[in-house]
Amino acid sequence: MKRVGSAERVLRQTPVILFLVVLGGFGLLSGSFLSVENLVNIGVQAAPAGIVAVGMTLVLLTAGVDLSVGAIMFVAAAVAGKMALAGQPFWLVMLTMLGIGGVFGGVNGFFVTRTGVAPFIVTLALLFVGRGFALWLTQTRAMNLPDVFLQLGATRVLGVPLPLAGFLGIAVLSQFVLMRTQFGRQIYAVGHNREAARKAGVESGRILAIVYVVSGVCAALGAILALGQLGAVTPKFGENYEFKAISAAVLGGTSLFGGRGAVLPGTVLGALLIQSLENGLVLLNADPYLYPLITSAIIFTAVLLDSVRNALLARLQRRKIRLEPELGSS
Amino acid sequence: MNAVAALEFAEVSKSFSGVRVLRGVSFTLPAGRTLGLVGENGAGKSTMMNILGGALRADAGTMRLNGAWHAPASPAEAERAGVAFIHQELNLFPNLSIAENIFLTSFPRRGGVMIDGRTLHERTAAVLAEVGLEMSPQTPVERLSTGQCQLVEIAKALAHEARLIIFDEPTTSLSARETEMLFALMARLRARGIAMIYISHVLGDVMRLCDDIVVLRDGAVVAQGPRAEFTIEKMISLMVGRTLDHLYPVRKDAARGAPVLEVRRLSEPGIVRGIDFTLHRGEVLGIAGLMGAGRSELARILFGLDRFEEGEIKLDGRPLGRGAPRDRIRRGLAFLTEDRRAEGLCFEASIADNMALVTLVEHTRTPLRLLDLGRWRAAIATMRQAVRLTANARDEQPVRTLSGGNQQKVVLGKWLLAKPRVLILDEPTRGVDVGAKFELYQLILQLADSGSGVLLISSEIEELIGLCDRILVMNRGEIRGEFSRAEFDRERILQAALPGEEVRA
Amino acid sequence: MSEPSVTAAVATERGRTGSGLRRLALSEYLVLWLSVIYAIALAPFAPGFASTGNFANILISLLPLFLVALGQTVVLITGGIDLSVTSIIALTSVIGANVMSSAGGWLAGSPLAAPVAVVAMLALGAVVGGLNGVAVTWLKMPAFIVTLTGMMFFSGLAIWFTQSKNIGGLPEAFVVLGGNPWAAAAIAAATGGFAHVMLTRSLFGRWLFAVGHNAKAAHVSGVPVRGVTIAAYVVSGVCAALASILYTGQAETGSPVLGQRVLLDVIGATILGGTSLFGGKGKVLWTLCGVLFLKLVDNSLNLLNLSIFTITMVKGGVILVAALLDVARRRWAGGGA
Repeated sequence: MKRVGSAERVLRQTPVILFLVVLGGFGLLSGSFLSVENLVNIGVQAAPAGIVAVGMTLVLLTAGVDLSVGAIMFVAAAVAGKMALAGQPFWLVMLTMLGIGGVFGGVNGFFVTRTGVAPFIVTLALLFVGRGFALWLTQTRAMNLPDVFLQLGATRVLGVPLPLAGFLGIAVLSQFVLMRTQFGRQIYAVGHNREAARKAGVESGRILAIVYVVSGVCAALGAILALGQLGAVTPKFGENYEFKAISAAVLGGTSLFGGRGAVLPGTVLGALLIQSLENGLVLLNADPYLYPLITSAIIFTAVLLDSVRNALLARLQRRKIRLEPELGSS
Repeated sequence: MNAVAALEFAEVSKSFSGVRVLRGVSFTLPAGRTLGLVGENGAGKSTMMNILGGALRADAGTMRLNGAWHAPASPAEAERAGVAFIHQELNLFPNLSIAENIFLTSFPRRGGVMIDGRTLHERTAAVLAEVGLEMSPQTPVERLSTGQCQLVEIAKALAHEARLIIFDEPTTSLSARETEMLFALMARLRARGIAMIYISHVLGDVMRLCDDIVVLRDGAVVAQGPRAEFTIEKMISLMVGRTLDHLYPVRKDAARGAPVLEVRRLSEPGIVRGIDFTLHRGEVLGIAGLMGAGRSELARILFGLDRFEEGEIKLDGRPLGRGAPRDRIRRGLAFLTEDRRAEGLCFEASIADNMALVTLVEHTRTPLRLLDLGRWRAAIATMRQAVRLTANARDEQPVRTLSGGNQQKVVLGKWLLAKPRVLILDEPTRGVDVGAKFELYQLILQLADSGSGVLLISSEIEELIGLCDRILVMNRGEIRGEFSRAEFDRERILQAALPGEEVRA
Repeated sequence: MSEPSVTAAVATERGRTGSGLRRLALSEYLVLWLSVIYAIALAPFAPGFASTGNFANILISLLPLFLVALGQTVVLITGGIDLSVTSIIALTSVIGANVMSSAGGWLAGSPLAAPVAVVAMLALGAVVGGLNGVAVTWLKMPAFIVTLTGMMFFSGLAIWFTQSKNIGGLPEAFVVLGGNPWAAAAIAAATGGFAHVMLTRSLFGRWLFAVGHNAKAAHVSGVPVRGVTIAAYVVSGVCAALASILYTGQAETGSPVLGQRVLLDVIGATILGGTSLFGGKGKVLWTLCGVLFLKLVDNSLNLLNLSIFTITMVKGGVILVAALLDVARRRWAGGGA
């Protein structure tokens, strides 16, 4: 068992190690990388994708996946744009966006729990339905939103920019729910084995449905923050966010097989890591065409480590005959 | 405080797809007593307990738990009624802690939402103390041994105030010491007035632990009464329905041939140690032992499915490297695995496709390796006949539509088509009805008579005694005993499988 | 599995009162019927739908999609999935174009340009497929994430390679392959025929199905599971490259965003046709029907002047329906215990 312990412990700390390596690396290569202003900037830029990643983490914990988050963002933003340009009050726009997130999430949840279709197909289908709908809404044209949205990005809470505060706030709340509520602990059980959880009396269906709704709402929240940064809705709004979110979660130690992972430090670190990469590459004036290459390579590595960890665990949990006289405890 | 729990089954029946699995089962468990439930595989024990535990609904009959009508619609309901089922395959979540596993659906909470960590810790520690498990409630379950996990399951039962606990083959993965701890715990539970049902193949344990015994055969109760009315031999003959002589085909006393499989000093740390034996042509060599003794692991290592660190395996005098199953098959080995659902059959594939899987290459023609349909069909038809597969099934039918016995025949047929020099069988008659069992035995003996060596792993000592020329006994990864046909003795074999355990007659 | 599944379906239905609807849904040719019904139903509403010119159009756009779907079918049969096919199309397109382009390509002007480019494209498709396969088997990573990452990486690579520009000036010999409907049809028919024989009659085909049904049992039974799985991804890569040849020829340029929109169509068509996401089931003919139906829908919606948005949404709905059907078929055939 000792062999497992040390190897596993190292693997578990990978997100932190990776993060420090990247920060250190860019810090060495570029003078301004490690300045407070830049680091806060990274946090703010990471916030939209980060919030989406938090929701995605919950879904991944149940051994599912939500590929529709980017599309949900787009639909929410498109509707928001239309409403804002039609003069609707700000609070109503916000509420509607959240509602859209919830509804889409609910549809995902329904199909996943009631029909036995794989989550990745359900959410993939919804991705295209959503994107198509949003493209129709915007007629493939960009919409510039009223300034009130941009102010979101500029407001500060206790000296911290609102987007970053919101991101961290949601992260803390989610981590609390995951670690300190029955619902959260049951998510881990369902992720390990849905059928076993059901046998143990857990309402697996309800949990799955809720988790997808949460993911949808997080996508809407991410859209709000993204609007705060861009101030406009373009046809590419929300594109690739599902990928960013999955990457952040996996980089942060969440297993694609379900049952393992955390929002803090995990996913938050993962999101910051991805953003640091982009930020660092920009500072170094690297070829922008290289971004997707580097990002996808890093994500591939993260998933690879996850698989390695799983393989190691499986091997060491093989039925073991105790050949030495064992102790009754410990 | 001693809650009285009595259990009554009255004419409980259950059928699956037209096959009657339970036929009017009736028995009584007096309050605070321990009942031993024995029967062959497929006799209906698991089905009975699943009905009691709420995982299945009975088709007919009633149950009374402590006088009250008991008809749970789900495991959760049965649990609320005070029934706890400690399954053979433990139902714990390794990614959660002991405390979280125990209180997964009933966490103590503050303010209705937040988990009350301190109370959780206290309650868990209390119940762990009752079962004698000295571990912190925060320990992740993945760090526990099987025995410890079992104690957690029992702790879970106690935490939910179970008044009836069902143990399904609890000692199969336990070490001797853990078994003793379990028995001591059961004595304590008994003193508290908790009723228990103990299901096990280790009849000696049943005799030791239980106040009353119920014997099931083919879905019906054939005997019940206090322990004093039973002996192990009587239980066996009741379980089986006839004396041992007529269960197994007559074995010709064949002369032992040359060695075909030689294993020397085979070791893989934590799995097997110093395995040394020789299998001869025409010989049926049995491997006895409790689950967890390393028999299946040994078989997997021999077949190339798992690695080994030290030692040597020789087939017909030539060493077998550390190859994969593909390699072994080419050299003439065959392996009928323990779990045909997981590794023996492609359940959705047809009978024909399953049967031909190992030997496909032989029915193809180069250059593109196209199937010669004619040869393929003929080979399958011949083998179907040879294993006496039910004529009711067409070649194209998926194997999941077959009964357990017929499924096993398909697997056996698959390997027989390869004309193996050595056939390893791991629990070949598990989940197979008595009639099909006999036919499988005949096929196995036929194969041995034709000159192949057969390695037979089985948990049923009677089966080994009936079929084998020699029996090896494995215990905690090592070979602890060897018996030739003349020396076959059930008690002594059992004793070798459980060192330090007295076998009560 | 070399027999039509209708026989199997009937065999399992024996003794049970199967409703007509159930039997229809389980029928192999469901999608073909759907296509015919749909075509007849829509003909009066869509202007120009029922003309030979239009059918020719449908056929031309159908062929490259069919090729990609073929490769996807093979991968799905083994229980995997290949999301990187669109990026393979793009990457092979630009590399191939770069080999033969008269505007600064590596073999500009040489008579060997076109054939070498074709070989290069196929080889590249095979290599990428091989990488996918290795990651899934040796590294034991989940197929969808491997191929999803692959999609990101290789399309990024294609864009970086061309700096987002298209590569024109392709030799006539090459353009003919893709642009000429007869050539395209010949390629598609040959590949389809080869795939059909492979799946139904060859050892490799049987192994594919065994791996898809139960990889563990296949391994114990001596099937080279790793090799078969890697080969399946290589096939998918090569099919994507073949499709790229047609697409590139049709567009007459090498483009780093070629085939971007095709992924949904590929998966939808294959599953709609009856290949199961769970592995162990699939046929060339089914995929052809699936592709045909999807293209019919596409074409008719276009003619009805519906926007690209609606079409995208409808297709999303179609994929969902296809998956639901897949689950339902599994349950119904399985006895629904």
